[in-house]
Parts: sequence; C-alpha cells; structure tokens
Amino acid sequence: MQPLIDAVIFIVDDDASVREALAWLLRSRRLSSEHFASAEAFEQRLAEMPESDQPRCLLLDVRMPGTSGLVLFDRLAERGLLEEMPVIFLTGHADVPTAVDAVKRGAFDFCEKPFSDNALVDRIERALGVSLHAIEAARARRRLTVRIEELTEREREVMRRIVAGLPNKLIADELAISVRTVEVHRARVFEKMEVKSAVELANLLRDV
Amino acid sequence: MSAVDHAPPAAPRLPGGRLLHALRSLWRRWFLWLLLAILVLALLVTVVWLAGRHEVEQVQAVLERDTADAVADLRSGLMRNAQSLQALQAGGLGAERWPAEAGALLRAHREWLRLEWRDAALRPLAVVDTPYRARVFDAASRDATQSDVALACAAAHKLRGAAYAPSHYVPLPEGGVEVMEMCLPAAGGGFLVATYSLRGMLVEMLGPALTRGQEVSLAEADGTRLVSVGTARRIGNRVFTAQQLIDLPGAALMLRVDGWRAAPDLFPNLLTALVTGMSIALVSVLVLLARDTRRRLRAERELADTLAFRKAMEDSVVTGLRARDLQGRTTYVNPAFCEMVGFSAEELVCAPGEPPRMPYWPTELAHEYQQRQGIRLAGGLPPREGFESMFMRKDGTRFPVLIFEAPLINAQRVQTGWMSAFIDISEQRRVEELSRASQERLQASARLATVGEMASLMSHELTQPLAAIASYATGSLNLLDASALPPTDRDELGMAMRRIAEQADRAGQVIRSVHDFVRRRDRIREAVAPHALFDAVLPLVQLGARKRGVRVDLQVDAQLPPVLCDRTLVEQVLLNLARNGLQAMESSLAGERTLVLRAARAVAAGSESRRWIAFSVADLGGGISAEVNARLFTPFFTTRSEGMGLGLSLCRTVVEQHGGVLMHEPNRPRGTVFWFTLPVAEPASALAFGSSSALPFPEPA
Repeated sequence: MQPLIDAVIFIVDDDASVREALAWLLRSRRLSSEHFASAEAFEQRLAEMPESDQPRCLLLDVRMPGTSGLVLFDRLAERGLLEEMPVIFLTGHADVPTAVDAVKRGAFDFCEKPFSDNALVDRIERALGVSLHAIEAARARRRLTVRIEELTEREREVMRRIVAGLPNKLIADELAISVRTVEVHRARVFEKMEVKSAVELANLLRDV
Repeated sequence: MSAVDHAPPAAPRLPGGRLLHALRSLWRRWFLWLLLAILVLALLVTVVWLAGRHEVEQVQAVLERDTADAVADLRSGLMRNAQSLQALQAGGLGAERWPAEAGALLRAHREWLRLEWRDAALRPLAVVDTPYRARVFDAASRDATQSDVALACAAAHKLRGAAYAPSHYVPLPEGGVEVMEMCLPAAGGGFLVATYSLRGMLVEMLGPALTRGQEVSLAEADGTRLVSVGTARRIGNRVFTAQQLIDLPGAALMLRVDGWRAAPDLFPNLLTALVTGMSIALVSVLVLLARDTRRRLRAERELADTLAFRKAMEDSVVTGLRARDLQGRTTYVNPAFCEMVGFSAEELVCAPGEPPRMPYWPTELAHEYQQRQGIRLAGGLPPREGFESMFMRKDGTRFPVLIFEAPLINAQRVQTGWMSAFIDISEQRRVEELSRASQERLQASARLATVGEMASLMSHELTQPLAAIASYATGSLNLLDASALPPTDRDELGMAMRRIAEQADRAGQVIRSVHDFVRRRDRIREAVAPHALFDAVLPLVQLGARKRGVRVDLQVDAQLPPVLCDRTLVEQVLLNLARNGLQAMESSLAGERTLVLRAARAVAAGSESRRWIAFSVADLGGGISAEVNARLFTPFFTTRSEGMGLGLSLCRTVVEQHGGVLMHEPNRPRGTVFWFTLPVAEPASALAFGSSSALPFPEPA
C-alpha cells in the first residue's frame, strides 16, 4: 500500500462492521483512521490527544446507545472544535432530517448509509482540506501574535500609523520624534514582521 | 347538617308578635274544644239540676197526694163516726141503756174522748168518757154555757147533720189535750156531742204509713199548729211540706204533712245517676276524642313532613319516575321525567277513564312498545337489572333510556299498577362512543407506528451491513486502480466490484422507498401543552389501571410551556410506558400500586440553548434485572409472551426523532422510572419563520 497522507480521520459508530469497512475504504485512499465504538470512548481519546497540526475530521453516527451523535456534536461545538475538526454525520435514511438540522448548526456535511462509491471519501478529503486550512490559519495567527509581541511599545505605535497610511513626517509630528527616528522604527518593524512593504504589512494585519 | 339550617327561614320577628301568633293559633285550634267542653258541662249541670228538681217535685207530689188522701180519710172517718152516732140514737135508747151503748162505741173509737147526750137546751142527759184515759173534763166545765158547743149545735140543728165546734185546748196536769167537739142533732130535740181528741184523730183515723217518717199535724186555718204526730226522726235536713184544708161544718182545720228528705242529694235516684253516669261517659269519650284528635294531628303533621320529604326526594332525583295503573294509564310522573321527555306533567298524566297515551314513545316503535306494555300488564315481570329502550322528546329527538320496573303495591297488598324508573343514558352512550373512538384512533396510530418502527429498524439494521458492503466494494475498486494486475483481470474484477456497490446501493434504495411509504406522516410538529398529552392517554391508562387496581397519580404543572412534537407519536410513547408500568406492578401488593405520571422542566445534557420538558412514568413494580437491562432497547426483545418487543425501541425512536432522549433508572423505594425529554416550543423559533407580531405561543412565565 502507498504511504498514508498526513491526516487522521476519527470514526465513531456503534456497529463494528461499519467501522472496519470504513477504515478499510479510507486506507484504500491512503487515509489513516482511528475508530471508536461510542461517543464516550472518543471523548476520552480526545482528552488524551496531544496538540497537533495534523488535519483531522470526524465521522459520526447519529444513532448510538448512550450519548448520541448529536449530543457529542453539541459538546464539540461548545468547545469550538468544529473548525479544526469538521464533523460529517453518518445517517440512516430515517435520520436525514436530524442530520440536516445538524448541518444547519455547523456540521460540515452528512452522508447517508449505505454510501456508494467514493463520494464519502471525497467529502472527507474536502473536510480535511478545511481542517488543514483552519489549522494553518490558526498557526499563522499564532505566529503573527508572537511577532507583534516582539515589537516594542514605540514600534507598535509606529506600525499602527504605517498601516493607517500616514507618511513618516506626520508620524514624527504625532509622536513628537524626529523623522529619522521614525525611519529607524519603520525598518525595525518591517524586519520583525518579515515584510518588505507597508502594503504587505497591512495585508498581514488584516486577519488579526 | 349545620345549625344554620335549623334557623327559621323567615326574617326574625319580634318575640311578642311571635307569642301573639302562637297564642292565636293555639286559641283557634282549641276554641271549639273549649266551647264543646263548656256546653257539655252546662248540659251536665242542667240535667243534674233538672233531675234534682224533678225528684223534688215528685216527692212533693207524693206528699200532696198523701195529704189529700189523709184529708179524705179524715173526712170519711168523721162522716162514719157521725153515722155511728146517728145509729146509736136511732134505736130510741133510753137514758139507762144509752151509756152502755155509748161506752161500747167509745171502746171502738179511740179518737173520741167523751160522748154526751144533751137535751135541746144543751144540758147533759148522759155522759160517757173514753175508757182509754183518765177523765179529761170535769162536770162543771161541761154545761150549756159552752158557747162553742152551743154554736155548733145550733149549726147542727140548722143543717140537720153534724156540725163541729172550733178546737180548743184543755189543760191537764200531765199536759193538755187539744180537743174539738162535734154536735149532732138527735131524735127528740136533743143533741149528741162527741169530743174528739185531735191527736186521737190523727193517730186513729190515718193510716200508720203516713205518720211513719213524716210529721202529720193539724193546724188552724191561719197556720197555728194545734197538734202533731209522727216521728221526730229526721232523715235529712230538707223538709217537704204539704197542707190541705179540712173544711168541716162549723170549723176549718188544716192538715199539714212535713216530710224530711236528705237534700240536696246529688244522686237522689236512678235517673239522675243514669244521667250523671252518661254525662261522665260523655266527658270521658270527649277526653278520649280530644286525645285521639291530638294524636291524629301529630300523625297528620308527621305524615305531611314525610310527604314533603318524599316530594323533595322525588323532585331532586335525576332519575325519571313514572307510575302506571293496571290499564296502562300514567298516574304519576316526577319533574325529572318531565324534564327528560320535555312534556309537562299535565300532558302525561291521564285522568281515570281516558285511554292510555304515551306521547314520548317514538311513533315507529309505538307498536312494539304497546306489545311490551301488554306483556307487562298481563303480569310479565321485567328483568331486575333493567332494560334499554328508546324514547322521544317533545321536539322529536330520540334518546336511549335505561328502564327499571317494579309492581306498585298498595297498603292492602294489592297490585295497583307499575312503577318505572328511567335513566337517560344518552350522555353515557356519547362518552362510551367517544372513548371507543379515541381508543380506536390510538390503536390505529399504534399499529401505524409499529409498522413504521419495524421499517425504521429494518432500514437501520440493513443499512449497516449494506454500508459495510458498499465501503468494501469502493475500497476494493480503489485498490484495484492502483494495482499491477493485468488490464483484463482488472476490468473483470472492477466490474464485479462496481456491481457489488451498485447492488448495495439498490438495496438501500428499496429500503428507502419502503421507509418513505410508511413514514409519510413524519415531521408533523406542533406545539402541545404537556397536560394535553397526558389528558389524551389518561382515559386509556385509567381503564387499564382500574382493571389492575392501580392508582394513577398525575403531576403536571399547568404553567409548563408547550412542547414541539408529533402529538400522536408522543401519546403513543406515553401510553406504551404507562402500560409497561402497569404490567410491572401486577405482582405488587394491592395497596402499593401507584403509577406516577409527571412532567417537569429539565436541563438536557448538551445544548443549553434549547429548553426541555421531561416526561416521566414511574411504577412501583419489581424493577428491571441487569440481564433485561442490557437488552432493554433491543428490537424484538420482550419479557412478555404476547409482546412483540417493539414498545421501548419504538419509544426511543420517536423520542430521538424529536431530538430528545429516553432514559430509565431505578425508582425509589422500588420499581422503575422511565423518562424522556421533548424540546420546548420556543417562540423564538417561530420568530425565525414569521413576523414578530404573530407569536404562536405566549412566552412562558
């Protein structure tokens, strides 16, 4: 078999044959998965899982004994995990309306059993893409935050005015410092924020 | 009954006025009796008085008669004496023989004291004194100078018969005597003078009966008593007096008889006694009559009370009552019956002689009823538990009644007709109909839900393996694409794998279409108040509970907000859980069979944004064993021989379709609680679909 893609798919379903079949299907598409028989087991694993940048996605059966898929989904939504770990509901035909509801409340998608061809896997890959994007965005945000924290107070004041589009002279007047000093601060900001122009800086800061 | 009920109903009146009123009514009631008593008393007194007077009159009359008889006796005695003297003289006796003859005469007549033969000049020729007593007269006093005697003799001479001189008193040493002379002209110009003792007259010439018990006396015409005989024995203190004049030639005497009687004697004789006795009897009868009247009055009052009580009873019952005589005529109906059929009592009750009429018989059934009545009148006994019939109101509407009939038997133990009681059972019928319809509706929806649940379970159970099959087929295809197999083999295998996937998909489609067919009515969600859900199933639950002797305790707060649900399905869930609870208590002790149905607010695990109502059904049965617990929601698992095992799994499906959960836990002190949650119908969710002004439900307090 070919090497696996760097991503993990969690499968939560009470039916072992379905879990195994899904895992096998995913592996045929070079996707690795972990499966759980109940929501409780999955939550326990989630608590133990170390912080990771690995894209991930959750296949969740709606109907299970004990904590149902919907309840688990609500808990995940509360913890704000839906961005980095999109949820795809697996439903029987009877549960379709429930699943539609769940999608309205933030689930990535739902898939009706029995799933034909690779539609499910395609959706999983899209979800992984979303997850990856979310994880990277989060990482970029974290990096940016770190960089901003490295600036001095004066440099942050100067940077705010650069982003606002003020020329160096006006910045010098407002902060009551010399134009020369402003230029030094500006060069330092560009260097620390790893940008080459004021436009690039403004683009970077738009997300924050 | 409280004391208030006994207070007089009228406004309080002055005590004086009430007293006056009482007195007046007392007077009115007893006035006649008093009058009667007075009249009877008056009659009694009058009769007794009259009887007494009659008695007195009778005594007086007897006395008068006796007196008259005595006078007649005296007269005839005197006349006889005069004749005896005449006869003495008639023989022409000489002076020598006369005394002897006169002496013999004197011996025979004790009333005489002395006989004198005198010549025409009234000089005595011969004198004979009575031998019965000592000499009364001396010679000196007996001579011609006696004026009284002279007058008498003169009168006798004139009359040529006996004449009498007025009486006079002759004093004697041992007590004087009252004497009276009679002069009789004798042959030869002389006179015979006989001296009568007045006392002797009374004693000798009157019967002894007269003087016995009575005082007989002779008196002068002016009433001066001269002499009296008779007993001094006085029986009573009342004296009856009769007197009669004895008119003798030359002298007049009064005979007086005094009778002593015990008077006033209340019962002097039989008549008075009889009258008195009858009067007493009359008074006694009166008293008895009064007592009887009083008893009758009391009985009458009691009877009136009883009648009023009966009347109130008959008027207050909702059961219609009707009495018929033996000819089938209605003789009595109570107000409830009139109200039932809509006819007035006057329209229903037949006068004697009228033909029977039954305006409340439906015209089309009248013939049948007529036959039934014929059987009844012929003596056929009705069934004890009553029978049903159809009646017609005045407005023509029909209504069913339950009839109980019993023979009407009077005080003489003779059957006079039939008494019937009627109960209008149209309301009962309607309720039965309603309950049956609701039960049928629930049963129909239960059947539908069962079929739906079976389809749902089938689809769930089948989609799992189908999902696995499809997954394996797809995975195999994926691997096949990347494999190094020869192209022909790969195409063959790929085709087979695709067929497998397609067939799995087809099976899925079949399941889906079956599912769609039975679940057409899915997704009907309406806002229903929790108590309305309980109310819908309670009659059926109560039915089962009564059969098993279980008490059903409903604890639903009326303030609970409505829940969003498919009403029929949730009712089905409640009914299923309640039935399970009832069946679980079949082995419990009779006194401890209680099923608690409760609805309350609940906080569900998970989303805090939605509010939930928890419905619970708690029994006091034997609880659930661990073995059963593990398989409780498994489809087609059941602990009952006739059960299908779909109840609980169906319930869970329904609840989960509503987004709720169905749980169970042990009940305290024993038994099991099943509870499930349903979402509150939020006005906010309605806002999302409509305008803000059209809130379908009020915000719960």
